[in-house]
Amino acid sequence: MNLRHLKKIRIAVSLAIFILLLIFFLGIESGVLNPVSNFLLRLQLIPSILRFFALFFTVSGLGFLLVLGLTFLFGRVYCSSICPMGTLQDIIIALARPFRKKRNRKFTYSGSQKNILRYSILGATILLWFFGSLFLVNLLDPYSNFGKISVSFFQPAFIFLNNKLAFFLERFHIYSVAPLGVKTLPLYVMLVSATIFLTIGIMSVWRGRLFCNTICPAGAMLSLVAHKQYYKITFNDSACTLCGKCERVCKAECLSSRTKVIDHSRCVSCFNCFTACSNDGLYYSHQKTIPAVAAANTPAPSPGKRQFLLTMAGGALSIPLLKNASLAQGHSKPGLVPTGTASPVTPPGAISYEHFTNNCIACYLCVGACPKNVIVPSFFDYGLNGFMQPKLDYHKSFCNFDCVKCTEVCPTGAITKQTPEEKQKIQIGVARFMQESCIVTIDRTDCGACSEHCPTKAVHMVEWEGLRLPEVTPDLCVGCGACEYACPTEPYKAIYVESNLVHLEARPIEESDGPQQQVLDDFPF
Amino acid sequence: MDRRSFIRKGFIYSALAGLYSSTIGRIPLLAGQRSATQSTGNYDLVAVRGGEPVAMYRRAMQEMGGIQRFVRRGQRVVIKPNIGWDVPPERAANTNPDLIGAIVKDCLDAGASRVFVFDNTCDNWQRCYQNSGIEEAVRAAGGQIVPGNLERYYHEVEIPGARRLKTAKVHEQILEADVLINVPVLKHHGSTTVTVAMKNLMGVVWDRRYWHRNDLHQCIADFCLYRKPDLNIVDAYLVLTQNGPRGTSTADLALRKSLLVSTDIVAIDAASTLIFGTQPENIGHIKIASEMNIGQMNLDRLNIKRVAI
Repeated sequence: MNLRHLKKIRIAVSLAIFILLLIFFLGIESGVLNPVSNFLLRLQLIPSILRFFALFFTVSGLGFLLVLGLTFLFGRVYCSSICPMGTLQDIIIALARPFRKKRNRKFTYSGSQKNILRYSILGATILLWFFGSLFLVNLLDPYSNFGKISVSFFQPAFIFLNNKLAFFLERFHIYSVAPLGVKTLPLYVMLVSATIFLTIGIMSVWRGRLFCNTICPAGAMLSLVAHKQYYKITFNDSACTLCGKCERVCKAECLSSRTKVIDHSRCVSCFNCFTACSNDGLYYSHQKTIPAVAAANTPAPSPGKRQFLLTMAGGALSIPLLKNASLAQGHSKPGLVPTGTASPVTPPGAISYEHFTNNCIACYLCVGACPKNVIVPSFFDYGLNGFMQPKLDYHKSFCNFDCVKCTEVCPTGAITKQTPEEKQKIQIGVARFMQESCIVTIDRTDCGACSEHCPTKAVHMVEWEGLRLPEVTPDLCVGCGACEYACPTEPYKAIYVESNLVHLEARPIEESDGPQQQVLDDFPF
Repeated sequence: MDRRSFIRKGFIYSALAGLYSSTIGRIPLLAGQRSATQSTGNYDLVAVRGGEPVAMYRRAMQEMGGIQRFVRRGQRVVIKPNIGWDVPPERAANTNPDLIGAIVKDCLDAGASRVFVFDNTCDNWQRCYQNSGIEEAVRAAGGQIVPGNLERYYHEVEIPGARRLKTAKVHEQILEADVLINVPVLKHHGSTTVTVAMKNLMGVVWDRRYWHRNDLHQCIADFCLYRKPDLNIVDAYLVLTQNGPRGTSTADLALRKSLLVSTDIVAIDAASTLIFGTQPENIGHIKIASEMNIGQMNLDRLNIKRVAI
């Protein structure tokens, strides 16, 4: 096969994967494509590794082995094809290209000095993870950041356009496009997403895949494997004319045309160099056939590994700092607020506060997928450990009793998959009724909005001074928050859900024998 | 003819004529006005029992004088069922989908230009529309099920004469409707005891919390001052008798196999309350609405047609 076609194939594959993941993040229901998108989620490196451990060595968490295998064979194809953030950077580079001066459009080899930073970051990320904090993953993982950016900007834009179309069609009485509720994310979440987006965007416009090779922990992890990759891009000394075209298109800035050095740990296998070369001066080959000259010019064997081990120790220094901070933040004290849960309510299937915060990378796929918009990003509600992780906000909405959408999409296993029957028994919190601020006791009028919305009738109405007052049967409550959402009192709700730090099982609704036969013999009027 | 015989004959003829008109004549005279299958529809309320929902509906409309009495050619009809909950039809927390389908089709057959169906649901609207079976039934019958999930569809209106609910944001379909047909399902309700026709109209406004916060019963009655439905049809086939208005399982249901039709929203609520098994006087909003002369809750004063099939 002509190696020049590799770039086209790479672009096609990366765009296809990008679009499939984007569709998923926009929350578009497509029966055929969703399983494909789901499979692509399994291939995301860090989510996959987390899933593997979160779900006790599950097969569905083995996607990372496939990625590592691919990397061993062909280099970091993950970074240029599978990683949505990688493709997003390529799109940004391509879009910015026409606006840049010609001389600024080309890349130049940048030596190999960036190893310390990236391996330090990787080391710190892994150490923090061992100590139970995903803080750095939440902040740096490319997939998670793509998710944050999608849900913060792409999804609102999509909803805006979708609704414009829906409202336009409605004028002609066409109702086939469903208008979507606008997801209003907190400002601080938008700010963090915007900062990440801008930082990565500027880095990519300025220096190509700089983010991937200096900061990204997934990129650093793969570069450790890429050192040993089986098929390598290699200079063909007899054909190379030292024209430098390959170097100018190398967005990883890992290729030196003058010294004929390729830093494979930084190469993202984008294959731009093959297409740029007009003389077959580069080829893809098994490492053993590397010509002697080129071999002499390659960097010393795996400096990465050594630095990695060294910097692991360095990264460890930052642990106590973060850990203390997280402890100080930790769980807020119960009873200090008039109403409202002490710790955030975690989604059904999250097993426990600990399981959730230890495995969620804040990619916001669940936020985007939730049809009730009850899952919203938090900021420091989970402490520094759970920075930006999502929670259930019952002031905005409540959890639909029969819906299991979030449990189906979570890539890391922070939210485990549930069937509707299983989910209906998971108690994520318990409703607490505050009689002293209830409409019924204060205004002496009937209300019952809480009980009306309750799917299990854990909140039910009992006779009270000629009116009906809510009462809670805690063991029936699943903590869906319908009561809290519906409660009309302000500013504090008269009924609210106190989060369960460990999810429990609610008493199931009794099996039914079907309706009673009470056919009327005559009208009672 | 002498004077005496004239008087005698006149007496006999007039007696015969009176006899005829008061006995035999009445039947053919009225029968001549009726079409073969439809009554004049002079009833305030028609109650049918013992059949399937659609069959009972057809019979009731026959007694009411047909849907043509309410829907004229070219009119825009809005049907407001209860689609509040994400539960399947067998749980009867939403109006029976077949019944809604039959009404939609009837309206279209009567010449309605368009028939719209919607509800401001409590659970996720798309799941409610779909799992209630109503979306499919409406589409199959040729009607249009329209969204009510965004505030932009609701426009503020004033309610003259209202005591508490002086303004409300009402769905634009209601504002633009020529004919409004209210099709609730009779259910238990935790705080209002029953929910029928008047309470079903809570689903056409945006801010229900306001109602709950400001004397729920009064607000329910107040809203009727804005727009009384042209026709109310109560689905009382399967009746949620406890754990309403959502229900938790089919054990909460009682099979009552009834259906009511009336133009009087208070009367139909009162009759439904009796079918549910309690007295209308016990229901706050029915009592208030009666006091405000929105309708008649005293069923003795009404012309009621009762049918068993």
